[in-house]
Amino acid sequence: MKSKRESTADKLTNFLFTIPAVVLYSIFFIYAVIVGVNYSFTDWNGIAKTYNYIGFENYKSLFENQYFWNTLWVTVKYALLLVVGVMITSLILALCLNSIKHLKTLTKSIFFIPAMIGGVTISLIFDQIYYRLVPVIGEMLGISALSQSPLASAKTALIAVVFVNVWQAVAMPTMIFMAGLQTVPGDLYESAMLDGATTFQRFRYITLPYLMPTFTINMVLTIKAGITSFDYAYALTAGGPSRSTTVIGISIYNDAFNNMKFSLANAEAVILFIIIALLSLIQIKISSKGGVN
Amino acid sequence: MKKEGLGWRIARDIIILLGLILILAPLYIVIINTFKDLEQASKGFFLFPEQWKFDNYVELFTKNNFWTYAKNSTIISVVAIILVAVINPAISYAIARNFHKKYYKAVYFYIILGLFVPFQVIMLPLTKIMTNMNLLNITGLIILYVALSLTKGVFMFVNYIQSLPLEIEEAARIDGCNTFQVFTKIIWHLIGPMLATLVVMDVLWFWNDFMLPLLLLNKTQDYWTLPLFQYNFKTEYSFNYTMAFTAYFTCMFPVLVVYAIGQKHIIAGLTAGAVKS
Repeated sequence: MKSKRESTADKLTNFLFTIPAVVLYSIFFIYAVIVGVNYSFTDWNGIAKTYNYIGFENYKSLFENQYFWNTLWVTVKYALLLVVGVMITSLILALCLNSIKHLKTLTKSIFFIPAMIGGVTISLIFDQIYYRLVPVIGEMLGISALSQSPLASAKTALIAVVFVNVWQAVAMPTMIFMAGLQTVPGDLYESAMLDGATTFQRFRYITLPYLMPTFTINMVLTIKAGITSFDYAYALTAGGPSRSTTVIGISIYNDAFNNMKFSLANAEAVILFIIIALLSLIQIKISSKGGVN
Repeated sequence: MKKEGLGWRIARDIIILLGLILILAPLYIVIINTFKDLEQASKGFFLFPEQWKFDNYVELFTKNNFWTYAKNSTIISVVAIILVAVINPAISYAIARNFHKKYYKAVYFYIILGLFVPFQVIMLPLTKIMTNMNLLNITGLIILYVALSLTKGVFMFVNYIQSLPLEIEEAARIDGCNTFQVFTKIIWHLIGPMLATLVVMDVLWFWNDFMLPLLLLNKTQDYWTLPLFQYNFKTEYSFNYTMAFTAYFTCMFPVLVVYAIGQKHIIAGLTAGAVKS
């Protein structure tokens, strides 16, 4: 092997190749994680010169606080709505787009446009549409629930925020599903047809098993995006009205920078860390099983 | 081939049509209203302007320091992506070809650990670290982007480089190339497709990112990026929405142009990247 011929200079080159990355990653990632976990055990407000270690007090006060439970509940609802909205829409869209014959490339390109636009930009655009267009539509249709921007009511704000997120987040899973559909062997459909399988049966027993790996990928990506989301709710509602859209990302930001509870916000972040780490482990478990691959 | 029923085809076409409307209508509303003043816009959101006006664009380009923010966004995206495109392949090459050695294997798993950490965990400590290092500026943001690009980048590149055949490298070494030359003359060309994926993913992230600029640059208006400008514009121009639309549209315009030119590669690259991470 080449290792026999490897000179000292080559060894040095390889080592030097790793240095900038390792240094940057150590300072701005690993060190930051350690500092963050450390803060979560203090009473620091983010500004004072000194702070004390208070053990698990921050965690204790979080779990005793009904606002925090509310935040977790909102986050779960947000993630669930996002997953349901994204998975169903993208799967249907992928099946539809995959089977059209005319203008396929153009149509596909248009459906991917949302992935190009920033989350804040699209949120601000929908903010205006909700504010100016929805009441007009509501009046036309005579629906009193639509007489004002859906963002203004605690009942509808979360759905309105997730809708914007879905609008943007559907593009990528749709393309991944379409790539997954390419792996389904065409002759399987033919023999199923000969056996008299209905369209639904073909979908259920042929398409779906072959889509399982892509299904897992999309599911995991969307769950993570839902649990850690920030941009949409921050730009649209900043967490209101009455905390109905305060997902944990917003809560961490507000507690740290607006409520002077810097160390408490770090504890919230650590809890989020544990949730995401557990999800990642489950993801690895599932994807090592896989479907048809 | 699969024969499809008429019912399914009609349902499919209706769904696609609805989807197209849902995607294009907001964009249409934005674009069409940038050419109106408020009075015209109030007559109807969807109507074509009776008279095409460019006043919003003139105001945007001459006031508001728009060009400063556009310049900041461009500098950040360009410099960060160049660094990202050099550092990620370099470390990944060293790891991929030395994976049998303890140090490189350890470095690999050390960096992959980042996949388990949501951004919110480092967000608050980073604001303190950056403040202490005097890096609440554009340089600081670029450094952070490079540091935060590593987990995904190394994960994508190490597997990819390991899958490349060794023969070409061996031949180059016999011809007298050292490791550095093998990297710059051979590997650099072989990783093209993966590099394209990384560049597209990360440029979109840098250009559209809101969170990190909000944390690092929001206090100094001269450092604002375009997303920060748009966000802060919301409070200032909430009544003058045709003006706000002009700002939003102008900020996404460069991305849409690039997308129109390279959409096929961009879709393929991003999809591959998402599956990888």
